[in-house]
Amino acid sequence: MDERKDVPKDFIKLKSEKLSVDEVSELVISPYCGAVSLFIGTTRNNFEGKKVIHLEYEAYTSMAETEIKKICRDVRQKWPSVKHIAVHHRLGVVPITEASVIIAVSSPHRAESLEAVMYCINTLKASVPIWKKEIYEDEYSWKENKECFWANSEK
Amino acid sequence: RLSSGRRRHREPAAEGCPPGDGGSMRCQQVSVLYFARSAELAGLRSETLSVPRQITSLQLWEEIVKVHPRLAVIRDQVVFAVQQEYVLLGDQLLVLQPGDEVAIIPPISGG
Repeated sequence: MDERKDVPKDFIKLKSEKLSVDEVSELVISPYCGAVSLFIGTTRNNFEGKKVIHLEYEAYTSMAETEIKKICRDVRQKWPSVKHIAVHHRLGVVPITEASVIIAVSSPHRAESLEAVMYCINTLKASVPIWKKEIYEDEYSWKENKECFWANSEK
Repeated sequence: RLSSGRRRHREPAAEGCPPGDGGSMRCQQVSVLYFARSAELAGLRSETLSVPRQITSLQLWEEIVKVHPRLAVIRDQVVFAVQQEYVLLGDQLLVLQPGDEVAIIPPISGG
């Protein structure tokens, strides 16, 4: 393939179906890249001694997609050799051990994709309007990311 | 214009929109979206509200709390997204167009 045809692409999807690591990895594979780096966020079964039954996610979908596109744009400015970026986030009910988010990035050499994946998940947690509700046996709790710049202030 | 009272701003436009005044120069119909805890407290996910065209973000919050008083408990935790740009609750002056989207954004927890 002529590299001019392997145009860098962003693959962003919010969906309620189970996420697939194979699918997300395959989206970013490129013959010009020697590295694909992946992050998978999975559901833990406990929080502060309480048993978590499952998670539920909701999103301001249109703005979430726009914010993720901004993250992709920032990644390409910081790591110009990055080729493809895929961010899939699940919405609705996510059972324990299943993936809530999968991020994959490809680049010719490994340093850039490794750094870019970390930047993507850290920035997603700080800026993308998605909310997680943890369901316990007797109650539930809306979670708040510590990265959220307007929370945890002057409480 | 500073008043001698406790509030810094009390422009006439902030006193709200008369019923039926959905499209005057002073008031606009905006689409308000509620998410997560704010949707639970307000009891709905979206509605159309008539608000002053020029309004600070804090005044806009106060207009919304008049309609849904239970939202008051989360005032210190939320921001707005106006036309999908984050806006802190405060003195920032908003200029709203008809049909603009205003979302109540509780602390986020994606990923």
